[in-house]
Amino acid sequence: MPHLAVKDVRAKYGSLEVLKGISFSIEKGEIAALVGPSGSGKSTVLRALMGLTPITGGAVDIAGETMNYSSAKEVRAARDRMAVVFQQYNLFQNMTVMQNLTLAPLKIKKWNKSEVMSEARRLLGLVGLSDKADAFSDQLSGGQQQRVALARALALKPQILLLDEVTSALDPELVNEVLDAIRKLANEGMTMVIVSHEMAFVREVADKVVFMDAGQIIEAGTPTELFDTPRTDRARDFFSKILRH
Amino acid sequence: MDYKFQFGVVWDNFPELLEGAWLTFQLGCFAFAGGAIIGLICAALKTYGPWPVRFVVNVYVVFITNTPALIQIYFLYFGLPEVGLRWSNEACLIIGLTLNAGAYLTLILRAGFLSVRITEIEAGQTLGMSLLQQVRYIIVPHIAKSIYPALANFFIVVLVMGTSVGALIGVDELTGQAINLSSVNYRWLEYFTVVAGMYVVLTFVASIGLALLGRWAFRVKARIF
Ligand SMILES: Nc1ncnc2c1ncn2[C@@H]1O[C@H](COP(=O)(O)OP(=O)(O)O)[C@@H](O)[C@H]1O
Ligand SMILES: [Mg+2]
Repeated sequence: MPHLAVKDVRAKYGSLEVLKGISFSIEKGEIAALVGPSGSGKSTVLRALMGLTPITGGAVDIAGETMNYSSAKEVRAARDRMAVVFQQYNLFQNMTVMQNLTLAPLKIKKWNKSEVMSEARRLLGLVGLSDKADAFSDQLSGGQQQRVALARALALKPQILLLDEVTSALDPELVNEVLDAIRKLANEGMTMVIVSHEMAFVREVADKVVFMDAGQIIEAGTPTELFDTPRTDRARDFFSKILRH
Repeated sequence: MDYKFQFGVVWDNFPELLEGAWLTFQLGCFAFAGGAIIGLICAALKTYGPWPVRFVVNVYVVFITNTPALIQIYFLYFGLPEVGLRWSNEACLIIGLTLNAGAYLTLILRAGFLSVRITEIEAGQTLGMSLLQQVRYIIVPHIAKSIYPALANFFIVVLVMGTSVGALIGVDELTGQAINLSSVNYRWLEYFTVVAGMYVVLTFVASIGLALLGRWAFRVKARIF
């Protein structure tokens, strides 16, 4: 039984169908990478999984439980099991790093305070920001903010972590510090769905690559299969362009 | 230029000026607080309401912000009794100042509503926040922080410029008190020198208080001068 199964998920913006039946699945501890040209619907897949963009069809299984996002309760169930980090980190600007990490576990989940605090400190250590607990987001670099966003997402102990182009908004010299943090999570066995243009990184960490175009999955397989021996013209085109540099 | 300053009479009547200053402070606080409630409601309606409601709010804001406060208060005090609505001068002043402040605060607060970032709200949603929790933990703190300097400035405007209009309908706030006293003994120059000083002290104290409050509550590094 797969840990995450996306089953024929569809979504529309107005009359424009941007997801035309998306299906893929991964096992516990695996990493799927969504790749494809800009506008192909990668972000919408993650937004649909988090209940930010309503789906017009399909369902999602997480650890054997089926969710179809048809009610507020279903959406909450999905948000209980998954966490997301976006390109633009979206930290709460009026709070310190520590408050960003602990707000949801303390105020929404009402978890035990001392456990939440020590878990938050562990996560800050994991992303290499132990000394920034009391900083505000405007006192941090983009890479640091993105690592805080990563830690904040992990503070809710999600079963699955979704990452949407988390390095795209960063200066090149800051990209590696964020990728390093994701590598550590991969080594800890975190199940992840990532959207990334860092193809070398995708090849290194992903168990499965899902190539999307115009709201559909064109081809899916291991990184080697897709990068080195793509079966479709569209995939071959895309990878030959993007892998050249 | 052989005017002889005589501050003695002013000091003799200083307690009455202090009473006036206290009334000025109270009027400023009342008008600002009432205006903030009106402003909050109108800003929310102007941002999220249906168009007929937005239209009514716009008429109110445009009408108030494009006419002098003095005219608005004269309208209440001298105009309305003609149609049978008669209120005391202090009531007219408070109502007038509150409606006036409400219109300006609608504009300030609306800028705050518009500055809330949808991405931060989405981050809250994905962390499992209910609508009420989003308002409490994201929207309100964000608005408060982003418009705090404008709010603090406007409080000073209401406190000084707004309340002194009361003198013209016989309210004994600081300016009114100074006019009353100086028209008895014609020491205009002395009275208004002292009163100007008292306004400066009043706004100075209010500014420092607001700056400290802002720094403590919202991390706003407001410059006092
Ligand atoms: N808020 C929106 N309103 C309307 N259309 C949107 C919106 N967001 C995205 N789209 C459209 O949906 C399609 C997929 O977008 P997206 O999922 O962001 O693609 P990707 O992440 O692969 O670049 C694009 O055609 C985009 O223009
Ligand atoms: Mg995208």
